[in-house]
Amino acid sequence: MIGIVVKKELFETVGSKKFHISFAVCSVLILLAFYAGIRNHQNNVERYEASKADNLRKLEGLKEWHEVENYRIFLPPRPLESLVGGVSNDIGRTIVIQRGNELEAEGSRFGDDPVFAVFGFLDLEFIFQIVLTLFAILFAYDSVNGEKERGTLRLTFSNPIPKSSYILGKWTGSFVAVCLPLMIPLLTGCLMPPVLGVGLSGGEWLRLGLVILSGLLLFGAFLAMSIMVSVFTKRSSSSFLVLLVIWIFVILIIPRTAVVLAARAVETPSVDELAAKKSSFARQLMMEDREKVDGYRGSGGSDMEAMMREFQEFMNGIQEERRKKTDEYNARLNEERRNKQIVQEKTAFGLARISPSATFTLAAASLARTSLDQKERFLGEAGRYQETYGRFMLDKTGIASGLRVIRISDGDREEGEAKASIDPGEIPVFDFHEVSTAECVKGSIPDMGLLLIFNLAFFALAYFRFLRYDVR
Amino acid sequence: MESDKNNGMSRTAPMLEAVNLTKRYDDGVLALDDLNLSVFPGRAYAMLGANGAGKTTTINLFLNFIDPTEGEARVAGVASHRDPLLIREKVSYVSENVMLYMNFSAVQNLDFFARLSGRSKGFRRDECRDVLRRVGLEDDCHDRKLKTFSKGMRQKCGIAIAVIKGAPAILLDEPTSGLDPKAAFEFMNLLDSLRAEGRAILMSTHDIFRAREIADDIGIVKEGRLVMQRSREELEGEDLEKIYLDYMSGLS
Repeated sequence: MIGIVVKKELFETVGSKKFHISFAVCSVLILLAFYAGIRNHQNNVERYEASKADNLRKLEGLKEWHEVENYRIFLPPRPLESLVGGVSNDIGRTIVIQRGNELEAEGSRFGDDPVFAVFGFLDLEFIFQIVLTLFAILFAYDSVNGEKERGTLRLTFSNPIPKSSYILGKWTGSFVAVCLPLMIPLLTGCLMPPVLGVGLSGGEWLRLGLVILSGLLLFGAFLAMSIMVSVFTKRSSSSFLVLLVIWIFVILIIPRTAVVLAARAVETPSVDELAAKKSSFARQLMMEDREKVDGYRGSGGSDMEAMMREFQEFMNGIQEERRKKTDEYNARLNEERRNKQIVQEKTAFGLARISPSATFTLAAASLARTSLDQKERFLGEAGRYQETYGRFMLDKTGIASGLRVIRISDGDREEGEAKASIDPGEIPVFDFHEVSTAECVKGSIPDMGLLLIFNLAFFALAYFRFLRYDVR
Repeated sequence: MESDKNNGMSRTAPMLEAVNLTKRYDDGVLALDDLNLSVFPGRAYAMLGANGAGKTTTINLFLNFIDPTEGEARVAGVASHRDPLLIREKVSYVSENVMLYMNFSAVQNLDFFARLSGRSKGFRRDECRDVLRRVGLEDDCHDRKLKTFSKGMRQKCGIAIAVIKGAPAILLDEPTSGLDPKAAFEFMNLLDSLRAEGRAILMSTHDIFRAREIADDIGIVKEGRLVMQRSREELEGEDLEKIYLDYMSGLS
């Protein structure tokens, strides 16, 4: 019996004009999202390579390592970022590395090209979250009460069909009727990266597949919700209105409200507050150091060079000590803020997860590595690189920090002897270690599971209500 | 109430039977009050009555769309509320406005409802065309979408669904309402042929002329009660319209 209803739903949906129109719209959007995403990724790769080359070019011709300033590292672009944007366009992709400096990611894509920030990019997340959820409502808002209004429900139940088979067939048929045809543009879109010269690794294919699966789960949840509302309301016009209101809440209001509520519940000091504290502490240390410098007496003697070397060592010492104290203080402040931020994020995401749409966003961003974690990971990797870079520069310059308090003249060099340029290729290469595919998948499983639960919960409500439904 | 149970009817067991059938809705309205009637195989029963008299409620009780407050609506001896799925195998239903899937063709609609009725094993789609021809729908409209059909054509489709189901009982809820005389005449001829095949037919209608033409037994329902029930033979030479109006106005 279920098969008969599924088949009927399939033919009825696929034969309708609204399906033809929505299928055409979806196909165009999906193909456009893949095409634009891949082209976007190729542009990002070009920009990334150009920035890296420019970074090294700026060092060409420098004679001394201590002249190296504003050495930058870059977050490499990944193809899935262009298909599921997440926060990848908002986070800074460049970090200036200098020993002792506090790391700050800058140069986000939206920052560089603010025009894109106005309306955002067309990506798979947008298509699944906005377009497909609306189509789910469009296809299922009148699935039960519409049949009752048209009189077909009465005729259907004059036959020996159990209500359970009917409602299960309804959901399955509607789901298959929309999802199966959608696989055509989705699979065609998946062919685009290799055709346009962007290779995806096995892990990336797996994650892309799971993003699509999450999207289909979101679609299924909205379909089940629409059927549920259709069972609970008498008129199809009422169910359409109710579903539109729910859509607005689920897609637009709940995620935003969750963030606002979390910000109220867990107050986090602002960056400016933190900067003020850090600056005040740095000033205090500077004053202390100045007193130390004023009180410096040295060991005496007539060897000017030895005196200068001794003073340099003294300066290195106090600078190193100050750097340590500053680092410790800043790290403590940053950690405190980060801990509060983590609690705030967890609260916000936890609250937002009552919306299937927010759950999908979190699952997709986790799979595409475009969640907030990516920024933290970039800063963490940059921090580790900063240490490597600092050791390298210390080795090359003998100066503990980037500050050049005193320049020691090269007394050994003969007059007129040209000093060779530094070799930028010696600088350690920044290698960004991505989160492993297994970790990504593991991170997304709770949200995918939640989407499945939404499907089951909405369907269960529709199912049990329909068992007592008056089909007259 | 005048009653003449089984007078002139076959002695076999009734296919459709209402026994002390009563329905009171949740809002307290008594829609049907102690109804007793029987429809035997090969006979047609017409229920006459004004709007809200309880005719559709009776049909709903036979289909178990609602449960009776008291009594039973039996199909082939089985109370409909005891085994709804079993009785729905034995009953075909044609409504006042046959509403089918408008984006499906006549054949697709017939195919779907035939399979839904449990006829999936050994069922051939060609049978749909045979049945559509039998109910008077020519080949050129078999593959047309239902939304292009007139009401008369849709009613024929509805009866085609009842035919292809092959159920021994047919329930019709004001089937000729809104049909032009020619379409109504053709429809009644179809019913006549189904009765001749041995199916039991229970029809609710306002159409006294058609009721007299087709029915072997006629009952008048007023405010939920069966106030008159007579066989065709008993009504021979009587003015049914007058009898009906007398009952409706309370003169009888």
